[in-house]
Amino acid sequence: MVALYGSVHLSFVPEFSPGLEGVVAAETAVSEVDGANGRLIYRGGYLIEDLAPVATFEETAYLLWNGQLPNKIALETLRRQMTSARRLSDSARGAMSALDAQTDAMDTLRTTISAQGATKTLTTPSLEEAIALTAVVPTIVAAAHRRAKGIEVIAAREDLGHAANLLWMLEGKEPSAERVHWLDTYLVLLADHGLNASTFTARVIASTGSDLTSCVVGAIGALKGPAHGGAMYAARTMLDKIGHVDNVEPWMQKAHEEHRRFAGFGHRVYRTYDPRAKILRELAQTAAPDLYRLAARTEEVALKILHEAHPERPNATNVDFWASVVLTGVGIPKELFTCVFATSRVAGWTAHVLESLADLRIIRPASLWKGPQPGIKPLPLADR
Amino acid sequence: MTGEFVPGLEGIVAARTEISLVDGANGRLVYRGYVIADLAEDMSFEEVAHLLWYGRLPTRAELDALTLELAGSRLLTRAAAATLNALPTDADPMDVLRSVVSVQGLEHRLEKPTIPLAIHATASFPTILAAYHRRRQGLEPVKSRADLAHAANYLYMLNGKEAPLELVRALNTYLVLLADHGMNASTFTARVIASTDSDVASCLVGAIGALKGPAHGGAPSQVMDQLEQIGTPENAEQWMREARRRKVRFMGFGHRIYRTYDPRARILKAMCERLNPTFFALASKVEETALAILHEEHPERPQATNVEFYSAGVLQAIGLPKEFFPPTFAVSRVVGWTAHVLEQVANNRLIRPQSEYIGPEPRKPVPLAERI
Repeated sequence: MVALYGSVHLSFVPEFSPGLEGVVAAETAVSEVDGANGRLIYRGGYLIEDLAPVATFEETAYLLWNGQLPNKIALETLRRQMTSARRLSDSARGAMSALDAQTDAMDTLRTTISAQGATKTLTTPSLEEAIALTAVVPTIVAAAHRRAKGIEVIAAREDLGHAANLLWMLEGKEPSAERVHWLDTYLVLLADHGLNASTFTARVIASTGSDLTSCVVGAIGALKGPAHGGAMYAARTMLDKIGHVDNVEPWMQKAHEEHRRFAGFGHRVYRTYDPRAKILRELAQTAAPDLYRLAARTEEVALKILHEAHPERPNATNVDFWASVVLTGVGIPKELFTCVFATSRVAGWTAHVLESLADLRIIRPASLWKGPQPGIKPLPLADR
Repeated sequence: MTGEFVPGLEGIVAARTEISLVDGANGRLVYRGYVIADLAEDMSFEEVAHLLWYGRLPTRAELDALTLELAGSRLLTRAAAATLNALPTDADPMDVLRSVVSVQGLEHRLEKPTIPLAIHATASFPTILAAYHRRRQGLEPVKSRADLAHAANYLYMLNGKEAPLELVRALNTYLVLLADHGMNASTFTARVIASTDSDVASCLVGAIGALKGPAHGGAPSQVMDQLEQIGTPENAEQWMREARRRKVRFMGFGHRIYRTYDPRARILKAMCERLNPTFFALASKVEETALAILHEEHPERPQATNVEFYSAGVLQAIGLPKEFFPPTFAVSRVVGWTAHVLEQVANNRLIRPQSEYIGPEPRKPVPLAERI
């Protein structure tokens, strides 16, 4: 192989880490995934298991954006800013109604956010925009859901918090405090997670000096991938296929023999049980007791099979597995799982973009040439 | 295992590729083994698209098939056309492109990226931009003409009449020159999105967002802004020295990779001289002055003119308003984006780098009631 890379001809082949595994692509104070110790740390130094019991999604978003938890006054201000930014613009509404009602909700979200942010002049990402984008996501998710079902879209309710209002707009009735708590906990847990693929996408787009809408739209596109945000849907689908506790062992054995991957297991960074999965597993017991029993048995069998096959690998349950059970308990249809993930992660995406502005430098890596030796002369069309 | 943080991932290999090579030391851009200077003047955009997607130049029959497929995929879907019409007429054309591409690809749902999907997406870009260009002027969109090739048809749909051959050739060369360029930020964005097994529309929408940034595709319109401010060649020296005192950046200069004159800029410069003499008179004087000033400031740096600088003059000669410069860049680069997406999924691994935590050590949160 000719070692040509970027600007330099090298006498050696530079190291290439597929998937940029282990490559440090940013310095960040927004969050830290301490995989070796199974810790997720949010901005300010808070362990996720300490934060989840005491903070709502709004407080968490404030923390990720501002670097500290809000006091009562700051939280009230943020809530007001968010409730007043829940409405779609005319162009966003127009774009949404242009779409077929059965469109995948993530496609609707990507398109509507893009239209909502279609502006005359390029704007530098700001905290106000981050708040507005975060506030409007549930409006789109709920509208996409109700359009698909052929029922009328419901307006937001100003007296409800972020999680409660999403459920209100989805269902048109006031949700129980319990379900709001489960959803809110999910939203807190998933709000940020280091340089995952969608967050990294947002940071790459931001690095060109582009606007916040472009960053979020790109991140939604990345989150849509089954290897990223689509994993919850896959986990829930697998549980549906297994169907019954007695069916777990034979189903999993057969799947393993057919080299099918178990959805909801394995993570590149964690070497221990994902701390978010631990919290969601607890919640799942009360949120969805029946599905919990099936999932717990599935987990047990999956981990046993995976351990037998690869005793050297830390094949722990990932967050998507238990999140899919909790969201089922909340009453979210599985077609909306990835969108609900986006509802949470948009706080992290925007926090990362805002952080990156302080020292903006275009992210433009190198590539390793494995094509033919340069300088072949093209044959004219007639001679080919 | 975890390495040092390298800002901007400069010099970090993020992919193995056989699509294009930016050989910065020698000032060469290579598509699939062919040096750009050997392709630029003689190849049609369709031939180069075939080269980037399939890895080789087409035979006559293959070229005819691709040309036909492209021409047959230009029509917007009903949803895409309706989205376009829902957007405000003063919106940045890049925002319109981003929003409509997000819809145009929808019929394909979560299909794995394929060459036909790449062709369909590529075919739709000029239609979207031309329709929006006309909508802004209160005009109906013009139906595409199957007998016209990609470049000619774009100009036809923009203006409602056939463009002179000279301008068609100029646009074709521009589209060939800009079709791919290694691991630039928008292409890299498309590959990161593809690495999650997402769909072509998501990859393209992300790439358009990245291209919009002034540090990437947004630069040519800024070149135009700066030249307009300078006004005349006589004014260049004084304006630029004064600008420098105010730390104003000269638009269209410097590149992370090239250590010599950008081979694309060289070709575009010659085209500018021929097609846009007024622009050229001002631009060449500004270039000369900029390079002299930059050299005085940083004699150690190779401060060459980049591709955006003379792109501006060529696109202006073609008759495009400056806010259509970045999306016309996308009309070309969509070929490279999709080629890279296909290469990424052929041998995929989720692109998920690490970050280095620079925040405080773990501590306990204070409950809301106790926070001051």
